[in-house]
Amino acid sequence: MNNEADNIEQQKLIGVLGQFDDSHTLMHACEALRDSGVKKMDAYTPYPVHGIEKAIGIPRTILPWIVLAVASGGLCIGLGMQWYTNATEQLLPFWSGYEFRISGKPMFSLPANIPVTFEVIVLSSAFAAFLGMLVLNGLPRLANPLHRIPRFKRVTNDKFFLMVDADDDQFNLDQLKNNFSDWGASDVEDVFLDQTDWKLPAFLKTVAVLLLVLMLVPPALVFRARGMTYTGTRLHVVPDMDWQVKFKTQTEGPLANNDTKTEFFFKDIRAQFAPLPGTVSRSDQSGDVEFFKGIQQGSDLHSSHGTPAVLASNQENEPQEEQPATTDAAVDEPNWVTKIPSQVKVDKDTVLRGQRQYDIYCAVCHGYSGEGNGLANNRAVALSVSGEASWTEAKSLYDPTVIDQPVGRIYDTITNGRSTMGPYATRIKPEDRWAIVLYVKALQKTRKDAVTAEADKPADASDDKN
Amino acid sequence: MAHIRKAEITSPIVTLGGESTSRVLPVLLVVAVACIGAAFFFGGAFKDTGRAAFMHSYLVSYMFFLSITLGCIFFVMIQHLTKAGWSVTVRRVAEIMGCAIFPMAILFIPILLSVLGGDTSLYTWVKEPADGAPEWAVGDQRIFDIKSTFLNPTWFGIRAVVYFTIWTFIAFRLYTWSVKQDETGDKKISLKSQAYCAPLMLGFVLSLAFAAFDWEMSLAPMWFSTMFPVYIFAGCVLSSLATILLVCLLLQKTGRITDEITIEHYHDLAKLCFAFIFFWGYIAFSQFMLIWYANIPEETFWYRFRFEGGWILFSLVLLFGHLFIPFLGMMARTVRRNKTYLLFAAIFLLAMHWVDHYWIVMPQLNASVYEGYFSSGEPITKTEYVQYPGFIDLLLFVGMGALFVASFCLVSGNRALVPLKDPRLHEALNYDNP
Repeated sequence: MNNEADNIEQQKLIGVLGQFDDSHTLMHACEALRDSGVKKMDAYTPYPVHGIEKAIGIPRTILPWIVLAVASGGLCIGLGMQWYTNATEQLLPFWSGYEFRISGKPMFSLPANIPVTFEVIVLSSAFAAFLGMLVLNGLPRLANPLHRIPRFKRVTNDKFFLMVDADDDQFNLDQLKNNFSDWGASDVEDVFLDQTDWKLPAFLKTVAVLLLVLMLVPPALVFRARGMTYTGTRLHVVPDMDWQVKFKTQTEGPLANNDTKTEFFFKDIRAQFAPLPGTVSRSDQSGDVEFFKGIQQGSDLHSSHGTPAVLASNQENEPQEEQPATTDAAVDEPNWVTKIPSQVKVDKDTVLRGQRQYDIYCAVCHGYSGEGNGLANNRAVALSVSGEASWTEAKSLYDPTVIDQPVGRIYDTITNGRSTMGPYATRIKPEDRWAIVLYVKALQKTRKDAVTAEADKPADASDDKN
Repeated sequence: MAHIRKAEITSPIVTLGGESTSRVLPVLLVVAVACIGAAFFFGGAFKDTGRAAFMHSYLVSYMFFLSITLGCIFFVMIQHLTKAGWSVTVRRVAEIMGCAIFPMAILFIPILLSVLGGDTSLYTWVKEPADGAPEWAVGDQRIFDIKSTFLNPTWFGIRAVVYFTIWTFIAFRLYTWSVKQDETGDKKISLKSQAYCAPLMLGFVLSLAFAAFDWEMSLAPMWFSTMFPVYIFAGCVLSSLATILLVCLLLQKTGRITDEITIEHYHDLAKLCFAFIFFWGYIAFSQFMLIWYANIPEETFWYRFRFEGGWILFSLVLLFGHLFIPFLGMMARTVRRNKTYLLFAAIFLLAMHWVDHYWIVMPQLNASVYEGYFSSGEPITKTEYVQYPGFIDLLLFVGMGALFVASFCLVSGNRALVPLKDPRLHEALNYDNP
């Protein structure tokens, strides 16, 4: 039986197809053929028939080994990718990694990197299994000559088929046809591969050439653009907050008249101008240097802190320094106030307020008792001993050098910090800073042997200190 | 295979054989009593100083055999629930081993008595801690007060009774029905078993989870992990699968079972083993990784116990021997269909499972000494805190094992080792792995 409407000279015999009515006869036929040495055959059934692969004699698939190989590759890629991108830097001259620091965790550590590695293995294995299965099955296959046989359509319904390939060694067309009928095949048919030479329509060549030419246009435009300068308005794709309704420094100020667009609100056109008379700035505080800075009126203000603080404190920490106040000029220190400014009421409430603030801000390092045994300090000292951190030990408030400090100096330490102690100006109000100074002095007074005559100096306040 | 091979048992012997049991059983019982008794006396159970070490060793071996028993009960329940056909021929072996829950309940008595008697050698929460007691140093009195509403001897005892009631009920109910089906072949028994297993599974899982909390997680009363019961469950299933494999192989070797259990069944049991090896590893790793990554001291100390002081050896043995090597070893199909290899694999997995429970329980023995080092902030480099398995462990293992085998002999009696008239027997006998 020939396939309909096909030229017989163009048909190549590629096999013979036997049709069976149930799976058992099919299985018998398969086993018989297998036993006779036929290797190139295949069975087609409407549902999976148990044991058919053994009946045909299909060798075991190599797909598991493919998946194993790909999975091993996935393991290396997963681990390697994480290691290279997160734990190396400048290993190659290009595509450098970036040592990703996450709160001190190790750059590359297996527990953290296993989940991603596991998922890469699973993903690659899944792809390998699926795609490998398709490839090993010869799929995707655009055409199968069996579909040209009308009878074959019943394979999805209720018929079972067995096809023996013509290029099998044991292939013998007549013998097979006889055998099939012996085994109870309800029909036998030759399978032909149509080899009619298909010619492409002529217009497709023109279309292909046209498409190729058109495809050259975008790169040509790109190269043209690269060789020119652009004079239009700049394209700003993501505006973000780039155009804000505010005046930046050194720009024109607001317009006085939107119609004319020439007159400006301010005479000097600018958006930025000097503070008006009577303006009080937060940072200046030049009004009351004693209260805000702890420096005596009229003394040199230029030796304020920043880098000098480090130098000053380093020199102060040396045991040779006995009288830091008198050697102010030598260490470039201003004249500190020696009594609490008058704005601060020296009474029990202030001392208690100072205690409360001290406990909040200072006790962490200096300890609740002021001995310098605060938790953070202990930890930092331990770390610096082992070399993992650099830290200047928090001073005991009973240290002679601290006892000798005038109150303004203590105030300045709280305000601007000292060495590894940070500035507390932004966190503690000036009133509270003086309260802390008062509390520190009170603490110092509790150690009678540490109290010197110098420390007792603020005479007008002493009668109120309890 | 397309042809239907057979629909019923044709071989004559599918029992243990009454005579051999009557010879073997007394020997087993004597060995069990002797070993466990010797362990009690020489392990220092009755002295105050050595009791902690003995109780921990006892718990290790006990949990090993209990996990096999519970896993077998779970296996039987799952096969009923899923209407499985392939496993019918191996299910009876699992049922018989599940009935070992009764001697396990008896073996639990020493632990129960020690807790009820106020002994803190095993569980430190039994008594209110002294001030500054190291194992409660991480917490404080208030935490003990809260935890002791659950962890106290009375409730511990009540819960233990509840667990064993549930487990014994499940095991014996399913076994007696299965044996009855041997005579009647009644399909309704299969349906009844399936229907009962649904709510019983819920009770089983909850009781297993809380038993894991009570008996192994509370060794470190300040530690907690929601993955822990799943971890124990994974170990239970894996060890029971390995044991079913082992017992079936041995029974076939000695000719008690002939061709009822085919290579296809072993293949399937091996496949399940493979899956649960990885499941165990997955659960163990996720428990570890979450605690490692969060790096919160109140959780990490449990793992620090097991990585420092010399215990790292056991951790690495588990990582490689319980996960990597068996995973790669049981991957290949040819391996899973080789009986010699499976025999070796089953024994290896059981050995690793024992190491697993040893690793869970034993580091807690010297926990109070570790705590002192932890507060100093230095890693423990000495290996003096590791406790290697000793003669007492061997004695207890052999003793409890003998009791386990004796229970198998006693329970199976001269009844069949394979369900004779299960409605799905046909499917099992003709089971074919593709």
